[in-house]
Amino acid sequence: MMEKSLIRPDTISRLAGLAASYSVIIAFLAVVTFFSLSTPTFLTFANLYNVLVNNIVMLAIVALGMTLVVSSGGIDLSVGVAVDMASMVFVMLLAAGFAGPAGVVIGLAAALAVGVLNSILVTRLRISPFLATLGVLFIGQSTQQLSTGGGLPIYMTSGYPAEQFNLIARTSLAGIPTPVVILVLGIAAVYVALHRSVFGRYVLALGIQPGVAWYSGIRVSKHISWVYVACAFLAGITGIILSATVKSYVPLSGNAFLLDAIGATFIGTTLSRERRPSVLGTLLGVVLLAVVKNGLLLIGWNFYWQQVGVGVLVFLVLAVSFGLRRHLN
Amino acid sequence: MKGICKAFGPVKALVDASLEVMPGTIHGLVGQNGAGKSTIIKVLAGIIAPDAGSIEIGGRPVGRLTPASVERLGIHFIHQDRLLVPTATVGEAVFLRHEIGFGAFISRRRMAAAANELLKRYFGIELPAGALIKDLTTAQQKIVQITRALAQKTAVLVLDEPTASLVKTEVDSLFAVLRRLKADGIAIIFISHYMQEIDQLCDVVTVMRNGADVGTVRPAETSIDKIIAMMIARDVGAMFPKRKAAIGAPVLDVSQLGLAGRFEDISFTIRQGEIVGITGLLGSGAKEIVNCLFGLQTADKGTIAVEGRSVHPSGPYDAVAAGLALLPEDRRAHGIALDLSVRENVSLASLGRYSSKGLIKRAEEGRQVDALIRELTIKTPGKDVLVRQLSGGNQQKVSIAKWLSCQSRIYVLDEPTVAVDIAAKVEIYGLLNRLAERGAAILMLSSDLLELTGMCDRVLVVYRGALTGEFSGARLDSDLLLAASSGASRPSEMEAA
Repeated sequence: MMEKSLIRPDTISRLAGLAASYSVIIAFLAVVTFFSLSTPTFLTFANLYNVLVNNIVMLAIVALGMTLVVSSGGIDLSVGVAVDMASMVFVMLLAAGFAGPAGVVIGLAAALAVGVLNSILVTRLRISPFLATLGVLFIGQSTQQLSTGGGLPIYMTSGYPAEQFNLIARTSLAGIPTPVVILVLGIAAVYVALHRSVFGRYVLALGIQPGVAWYSGIRVSKHISWVYVACAFLAGITGIILSATVKSYVPLSGNAFLLDAIGATFIGTTLSRERRPSVLGTLLGVVLLAVVKNGLLLIGWNFYWQQVGVGVLVFLVLAVSFGLRRHLN
Repeated sequence: MKGICKAFGPVKALVDASLEVMPGTIHGLVGQNGAGKSTIIKVLAGIIAPDAGSIEIGGRPVGRLTPASVERLGIHFIHQDRLLVPTATVGEAVFLRHEIGFGAFISRRRMAAAANELLKRYFGIELPAGALIKDLTTAQQKIVQITRALAQKTAVLVLDEPTASLVKTEVDSLFAVLRRLKADGIAIIFISHYMQEIDQLCDVVTVMRNGADVGTVRPAETSIDKIIAMMIARDVGAMFPKRKAAIGAPVLDVSQLGLAGRFEDISFTIRQGEIVGITGLLGSGAKEIVNCLFGLQTADKGTIAVEGRSVHPSGPYDAVAAGLALLPEDRRAHGIALDLSVRENVSLASLGRYSSKGLIKRAEEGRQVDALIRELTIKTPGKDVLVRQLSGGNQQKVSIAKWLSCQSRIYVLDEPTVAVDIAAKVEIYGLLNRLAERGAAILMLSSDLLELTGMCDRVLVVYRGALTGEFSGARLDSDLLLAASSGASRPSEMEAA
């Protein structure tokens, strides 16, 4: 009887509420603790730096775009295509002797074209975002295969083009690698756009109740279009960083980001009581996914078992958060 | 049902409530929201198990009720929320779980034919063949739902606010059906916020208050005012508060507006401080006129002018920019977003006022929202609470606050008090009067004639796409409105009246 009175029921439900809101953070701490104890290499500066630059930056930029699209009530299955288009155009232009900045600008324009196509399909032809972007995914994949003789990679390991790649991947600002600087700028921009601006409020309203947004005098097509264009643009940035880092263009490599970006965004929604996507939540999702993959690799799991590990973790985070929340209601 | 008690945690929803319904009667059940009407009906439906009390059906006590056992006992429910599958056809919806066919195969054709037969027999209407539920109007969906209950063997029929979205003729045909069913010996429990309907239709009325039945009376012998007084245990005074609005300059000027096949040559003017009603049967064009004002449909003839400036709304964006505000009929789909907070709903149409360079000034937004919550006495735990957690009346106030925040000058209301309880209705009416006193011009589309005569300075009647009458002063009377909107009197006779 004494023990029972120590923990009052409302304390338990408050703890459960905290666990529901912060299941991502709890999972993250648990995962970090586990890997730190299992392998000495995990918690070293070199490894964490490697995770940040090679796993987090590129996925996070794509996931920021996905967060915008999911907030608007849609989904973008073609982010991988936007990544690849930027990457392909960038690498091909450099191979043809163009200067680095020109390659970046035209590469990003190619990614933007993907976003514009998505927004036309969704807002003008009123195709559901899932089907519209799925169609663009198929078209984009074929386009790459047709332009590369059936999917042959383009490598640039030496000579003039290779040096141009270093401009992005191997430089730093005040000791911070350029890709990380780009990520920080991207986070700031998307955070302000989604959580502080009128645009973000409209996007949120469109995602939650499009009818109400329309009846309130919000221009639906305009805002939805911007969301898809912004998402493709961000994916394009990742495409440039990707090819600058690996000094090559490998067809269809952008698809690796698609499921992780969706996963990170939805893991991030557990942070909010209303299940809303948020920049902070998405970033936590990205970091969690990256750390788990890196940790499993270090303790010797192969690629396929890593996927299983990630899947189980995503499931646990979502199940704990949703289950507790339902229990509380 | 005798001595039913039910508590949800500390909240006592039912306290020793009893309800006795005789076969072959129409039994009204009235009370404010939260009085326990829904709870006692859910107990009868087997959805909620009572904490205490007994239930007898046909003289035999019944034990624990489940939704399935209730249906076997022949008790059918028509719930307020339309529980129909949006993508089913009419036939499929009517015979859901009672499909017609051969073994595992169902015959869509035979179900459609049987459904049409029932619709024709009871309501005298035909729905387009193969129509899907989501393509039907709210009223048609309600009719399909009632038909679904009629398609089965029924001993007790429970209708929860069945007329909320029906127009007068549909209500009349529904009442005719209910009277016919009553003559067949079916017991009917009829829940409604419309006192006129209770008065017209019911043989007996049970009034509920604070979870208990406070009295069972015969409407034929008791006045409506008495019944309302029983419901709220105090005198409402006037349901329609008096207004002292000075009528000013014309604000909205509609001239010779026309939309092919819907309405033509519609002209009217609304002035500052004026509340103008507009009414008509389903399909009369009244709804389409309102839609054209707000840019939901685009008129192909005529002009709309706001304060002398001509506007051509091709979407709500243009209408809002011109200073119009719309309270749509389907509040949940178009009026307020249940999963946005009170703050986000209230400021949604007026973010331009609370932002600079595209960034929201949250402090200023919060102050305005707080001020509106106080001004409209919106009952909410706070401005960052989801609107979902508010009651229907308070949700409607949030949707009005949205346009107050926008400083709209012209309010277009589409059935503003549908599914709102009497106390909240009176509050909303008071609010509309205050709006008018502040110089707003209000156009109110409604099929509630009591509301129109009580609230409006003038009422426009639309019949078959034309304005056939304008009633004000002594001629503003529900019988005259009814006659005009159903085409029973010709315009010329009305001028003479």
